[in-house]
Amino acid sequence: MKNDAMIMNRKRFRWDKLGLNIVLAIVSIIWLAPLIMTILLSVRPKKDSIGTGNIFFGSGFTLDNFQGAFDAVPWGTYYVTTLLFVFGLLFIQIVTITLAGYAFARLKFFGRDFIFLLMLIQIMIPSSVLLIPNFTTVRSLNLYDTKIALMLPYIGSAFGTFLMRQTFRQIPRDLEDAAKIDGCNWLGLLQNVYIPSSTSAYIAFALASVSAHWNEFLWPLIITTSDDNRVLTVGLSQIVRTSEVGAQYGQISAGTLIVVAPLLLLFLIFQRQFINSFLRSGLK
Amino acid sequence: MSNSTIVPPTTDVPPDSKLKTQNSKLAVLGGSIFPYLLILPTFIFIAAFTFWPTIYAAIQSTIRQPRTVRQQAEFVGLKNYFDLFDENTVIGQADNFPRIFANTIVFVAVTVPVCLILSFLLALLLNQKLRATALYRTGIFYPVLLPLISAASVWAFFFADNFGLLNTLLRTIGVSPLGWTRDPNLALFSIMLVVIWKQTGFYMIFYLSAMQNLPSDIYEAAALDGANAIQRMLRLTVPLLNGTTLFVLVIAGVAHFQTADPLYVLGQGQPNNRSNLILYYIFQRYDEPKDLGYVYAMTILLLGLLLLFTIANFLFLERRGNYEE
Repeated sequence: MKNDAMIMNRKRFRWDKLGLNIVLAIVSIIWLAPLIMTILLSVRPKKDSIGTGNIFFGSGFTLDNFQGAFDAVPWGTYYVTTLLFVFGLLFIQIVTITLAGYAFARLKFFGRDFIFLLMLIQIMIPSSVLLIPNFTTVRSLNLYDTKIALMLPYIGSAFGTFLMRQTFRQIPRDLEDAAKIDGCNWLGLLQNVYIPSSTSAYIAFALASVSAHWNEFLWPLIITTSDDNRVLTVGLSQIVRTSEVGAQYGQISAGTLIVVAPLLLLFLIFQRQFINSFLRSGLK
Repeated sequence: MSNSTIVPPTTDVPPDSKLKTQNSKLAVLGGSIFPYLLILPTFIFIAAFTFWPTIYAAIQSTIRQPRTVRQQAEFVGLKNYFDLFDENTVIGQADNFPRIFANTIVFVAVTVPVCLILSFLLALLLNQKLRATALYRTGIFYPVLLPLISAASVWAFFFADNFGLLNTLLRTIGVSPLGWTRDPNLALFSIMLVVIWKQTGFYMIFYLSAMQNLPSDIYEAAALDGANAIQRMLRLTVPLLNGTTLFVLVIAGVAHFQTADPLYVLGQGQPNNRSNLILYYIFQRYDEPKDLGYVYAMTILLLGLLLLFTIANFLFLERRGNYEE
């Protein structure tokens, strides 16, 4: 009797799982379809498929589209600029949020909590909305069309400061006191106690920051004009806009893959860290 | 919530007296400016690129820029704001700003709930511990990492007239193809599809991680009491995840109000602003000096919408109470 129930139970269980698997597989395929289509389009010859809708079983395989995309747009330059922008910004952010996070976590000073709350307002005011006034500021600083200008709105990070403050506060005071007795000054404290104990917070912040800024578009678009200062997303948008979709479909999909490949690969390798990072940040 | 290399929680013991005297000596010696120096870099940049532009935009939104060379910029109070909705002005005509404003509200009102429900349901399914869970999660999450601009260019192939996948599918089942981004009644909907596709996976991981932390004993008790799966979902999971819902609602609302990038590739707000959204319209207008007053008014209006949305959510969900902590 008991055994029967258990067998029944197990059987029903498996049907449930099959149903779940089918639903999730369908959803995943729908979600993956745009990517699959882009990959297929990027390796199909130009004469193929257009107007026929036959991209899935097209005639040949070619890398011409990638060649074409590389000829049309200086991707190398855009890559260098994007890397400089994203990692230069990350470096500056890490320095500034570490200093500020430490001050807010462990030092006592007049107005500390007030200043902290004031800074947190930034989390509610996304910089993309302030596109135009920031544009005016950068122009009046004579920094229009520079790599510095790309970074300026994102350097001060209230979220990063908040994250480091929370992280530093969890580190036992005893560690700090011990280091102080050993003669560490504040810089030594940061180097030997605070920073090494906070790697997971730094990784979370770094992944969130890099992926957010890799994807930045409107700000880089309006603040730069020369090829040297343009980032990948802007480069991609230019080939999409200048060629009618359809005429250059192969090149556009090749260009899209050129832009998204690094982040997607990073994600596949460091999936858990990425997801943890997003869970921790939620905001950029 | 995440992997912690961090040491166990501290008992915040007050520093012993010897150190205290040392600290206060430091304080006397200009220790009082030292903390300010540490926060200065962050503060300056937040002040210069968040506080100042907000104030500047608020001030400039009350100024009417000259229309002709001979005119001067003048203070007009709130007139720029009224003009945005005044059908006697160019910008306030029905198919101009009022439509874009309405589009933005509709866009958020549709995409946020759809994303919320989809991400909740998908998380619920993924939380059933299947062998392929990681695979499905990756498949649904990956668009989060794509730049919106490339997400949109990927979708451009979906929406394309001739070879687009959607029209190919329609033809196969004998329906005539649609102008996904050109049809006035469809253009905004197409943008919605892109954003829902891109964002759902992001919100899903918040639900998923919250569900993994739900206490299993309540569910066992409910199952013993004869509650079926749907009852358990509605009576237990949904209320227990109120806090997550509030969080997701706020970040989704804030993100979706700022949608602009896909429009650059998909239709540019056309036809006739039928698919235009406020932030993209701001971007389209900033180059025309005579309209700057309007641009700043729209900036402040959009900020106001964002703040209103955030605050309303907090008040509404807080009053309903019963969310984590």
